[in-house]
Amino acid sequence: MNSLLDSQVLARLMGQPLLARLAMEGTVSGQHKSPHRGSSVEFAEYRNYTPGDDIRRLDWRVFGRTDKFFMKEFEAETNLRCYFVLDCSASMNFVGKNERRFDFARRLIAMLAYLVIHQGDAAGLICVGEKIVSEIPPKRNPAHLQNIFQILEGVEPKGETGLIPVLHELAEKVRRRALIIVISDFFCDPAELMSAFQHLRFQKHDLAAFHLLDRAELDFKFDRPVRFADMESDFNMVTEPAVIRDRYLEQLNGFLELLRRGCNEFNADYRRVITDESYEKVLADFLIARAKLASAA
Amino acid sequence: MTFLQPFILFGLPLILLPVIIHLINRMRHRPQQWAAMRFLISATRASTSHAKLRQFLILLFRTLAVLMLLLFLARPLAGGWMGWMLSPAPDVVLILLDRSASMEMQVSENTTKREQAIKLISEAAAQFQGASHLVLIDSALRTPQEIVNASALNGLSLAAPTDTAADIPAMLQAAFNYLVENRAGSAEIWIASDLQRSNWQPDDARFKSVISQFSGLPQRVRVRLLALNQTPENNLAIAIQDTVRRGKGDQSELQFVVDLQTSSESKDALPIQTVLDGASSETQVTMDSQSMRWRYKLDLGEKRDSGWGKFQLPSDLNAQDNTAYFAYGGNVKLRATIVSADRVSGKFFQIAAAAVANDKDAAQLLSPAEFGSANLEDRSLLIWQAPLPTGPEAERVQNFVEQGGGAIFFPSGNASSQTFAGVNWGKSETAEDEKGFHLVKWNEEEGPLAKTDEGFTLPLGQTEFQRRQQMRGQQAVLASFDDGEPFLTRQNLGKGQFYFCASLPDEEWSTLGDGPVLVPMIQRLLQAGSKRLQQVAFIHAGELSLADQQRQWTSLDSSTQKNARLDAGVYRSGDRLIAVNRPPGEDEPEILDVNEATSLFEGVSFQMLQDKQTQTDALQGEVWRFFLFGMLALLIGESFLILPGKPAAKQERPAPARKTEVAA
Repeated sequence: MNSLLDSQVLARLMGQPLLARLAMEGTVSGQHKSPHRGSSVEFAEYRNYTPGDDIRRLDWRVFGRTDKFFMKEFEAETNLRCYFVLDCSASMNFVGKNERRFDFARRLIAMLAYLVIHQGDAAGLICVGEKIVSEIPPKRNPAHLQNIFQILEGVEPKGETGLIPVLHELAEKVRRRALIIVISDFFCDPAELMSAFQHLRFQKHDLAAFHLLDRAELDFKFDRPVRFADMESDFNMVTEPAVIRDRYLEQLNGFLELLRRGCNEFNADYRRVITDESYEKVLADFLIARAKLASAA
Repeated sequence: MTFLQPFILFGLPLILLPVIIHLINRMRHRPQQWAAMRFLISATRASTSHAKLRQFLILLFRTLAVLMLLLFLARPLAGGWMGWMLSPAPDVVLILLDRSASMEMQVSENTTKREQAIKLISEAAAQFQGASHLVLIDSALRTPQEIVNASALNGLSLAAPTDTAADIPAMLQAAFNYLVENRAGSAEIWIASDLQRSNWQPDDARFKSVISQFSGLPQRVRVRLLALNQTPENNLAIAIQDTVRRGKGDQSELQFVVDLQTSSESKDALPIQTVLDGASSETQVTMDSQSMRWRYKLDLGEKRDSGWGKFQLPSDLNAQDNTAYFAYGGNVKLRATIVSADRVSGKFFQIAAAAVANDKDAAQLLSPAEFGSANLEDRSLLIWQAPLPTGPEAERVQNFVEQGGGAIFFPSGNASSQTFAGVNWGKSETAEDEKGFHLVKWNEEEGPLAKTDEGFTLPLGQTEFQRRQQMRGQQAVLASFDDGEPFLTRQNLGKGQFYFCASLPDEEWSTLGDGPVLVPMIQRLLQAGSKRLQQVAFIHAGELSLADQQRQWTSLDSSTQKNARLDAGVYRSGDRLIAVNRPPGEDEPEILDVNEATSLFEGVSFQMLQDKQTQTDALQGEVWRFFLFGMLALLIGESFLILPGKPAAKQERPAPARKTEVAA
């Protein structure tokens, strides 16, 4: 078992599959809805027969009662292709009072990738620094997990973030509907980020965003002057946190609200995660919520 | 501002402590890697101006609080008197108190200028008690006297009222001498005066001299002047200008020339109380101007011995100038000695003197050669019509005048370089036409040519002068011819006076021999010289001679203890009787302009406070309360500034990320 995985947590989460909220286009049959009609046991609808239709799908009983040909159609179920997009910019190195943000993100991806592959779906990974650092296309093979874990363990955050262009690129590159899970601190321009989200949603991808924040960033409690050094550049500044705290919180909360509204607008599954939370709870909440939404659909 | 604990001020650099602590605190910042930098920059940019202002105010408040604390501990003194200059307490404070008669003018109900000055100065000086030597130099005695208890200044005899004049240059000189003799360190000279010009004598060369001496001192000397220069609105003053006892047969009378002054425009009748040998009477006088010369007679009847009296005005703003005292001697025989080289002219003088004295032996006619053996003991006038005396003769004449006798010199006809007390005869002139020389101007108010008792003018205008002799020297001119040449001059010498007259009663010279001018002139000179023979004297307060100061004087006008040296009144010592009055300068209304007073002290540090500023406030006081409360106020202000801002209740907290719904 990999160091990123916790077998006990996995055992508790295995009962709850990761379901797509939207119809997926897989290559093989699976447990996720497909936009196409298929041969599953799930009845979908009746329609009039048109020449050329497969007569094996005619409902003979209806023909017997009505003397008309009706085609009985069933939901198609397909597998899921899941892309994990991990922000590897230097800001992910932030360590507050708890675990490093990047480590938290890696653990989330490892657990989710394990669950995805073990439910028969495909999982891929894209690590984004200033540009794409490493990329593994989604595969269903359990052996593929090892590749993902290797990359997760080998990659380290550095440089500025190039998340937004990579998301645009991903939206263009992945032609079939997929689940795209982005894990980042999203410290970038919110308007451009929303534009990238919109692009992904336009390509009919199911989008989930894990917004990782540290408690120190949210509270901003310091008792004396601090020299703040930007993690993504050489810029630094000395300031009295007590003096600017109100303004800082005002700015931060405004940004968070903007993100929340943007994700709502584009039907993205936005999850704000504080790194002092239990990742098991974070994952459980995520899986359960998605399952409810999938069954309601 | 002066400090009682000036060494505390060495701690003034401590006011930088808050700034240093602030800078150290800023240098002690801890580093922090930060991801959400964009919000930090934005927040800093938005908060900078406000935060900087607040930080500046906090620092300012802390710095000022420390400054206030230091000033509070240094026990500052401040007020209009001390100003706001920073300085330690001086080594010595010299208080120059003007206690002349004019300082008894009331500035408020029951408070005179002197009392006001003492009150203010004693309060101010009390702050220096223990830190500085307090030395009083009063205007009457001018003897430096160290004061132990400043608050008791009012009870000191050295600060009591007097009828003397003040000599401010002499007081400053006494202060300078004290500083030099006692090798004093830094000094403050506090002068309390009414700026009466006659006391200050701004044109006196001594003033410049003493100020230059002060400016030459190595130690710091600061002069502060408390100018009580408020002029009275309604005050009356009386002074006796002249007193003559004149006998008429067995009867005699006193003739007075009295000067009255008022500062009001009122022309109401003025009641003047007259006291003569204890008997009181009242006379009404109407003043038609602000100053008036009043002639008055008091009948002595057949009384032959000496006596005294006084004139008294109703009480007003200054009680000190409401009384004028006089004393008169017993009847004396008026006798003259005539020294003449010209027997004709000598006869004129002899006849005139005999007519006055009503005694044919009253005038002794001598030749210049006989003068050396002449007895002058019972003489009151010496008439000299010969070349001016020289050697022992001149010395004898001089002594005669200095003792109070009178001397008048008539021309000898010849020019001479021989002088008497700086005066000599010039050339003799004879009129070119029959009109001769004419007298156009003479003093009718007082002196030998004054009006008669009945108010008639002497017929000097009708007197013809064919010949005259010029005189050279610095004398007061009492009468002069139409071309400006003097006819009669006068000069004081000791207690007496001597005169020079430019013409003779001889027909060749003038018509003086007719009598209407010569007789009254000789009469008045005889009477003026009779002071020499009397045991009565008029003295100005503060001018008692050293010999007289040794005598025991008893006050006749008051049952209370009085000092003949300082207080006006009538005093007796044995047979001698003296009337002491305030000096005439004390009645002069002229006040020194404040700018002129300031200019007198050029070269030394000088500050003036006028009495209008001192009516209600103390000159200075300890102001530590101001600094204590100031410090507390600053600390409270600082604590408000460092309070954390309002909790971000109004800030919109972001709504929790809500679960997204799956699109249908």
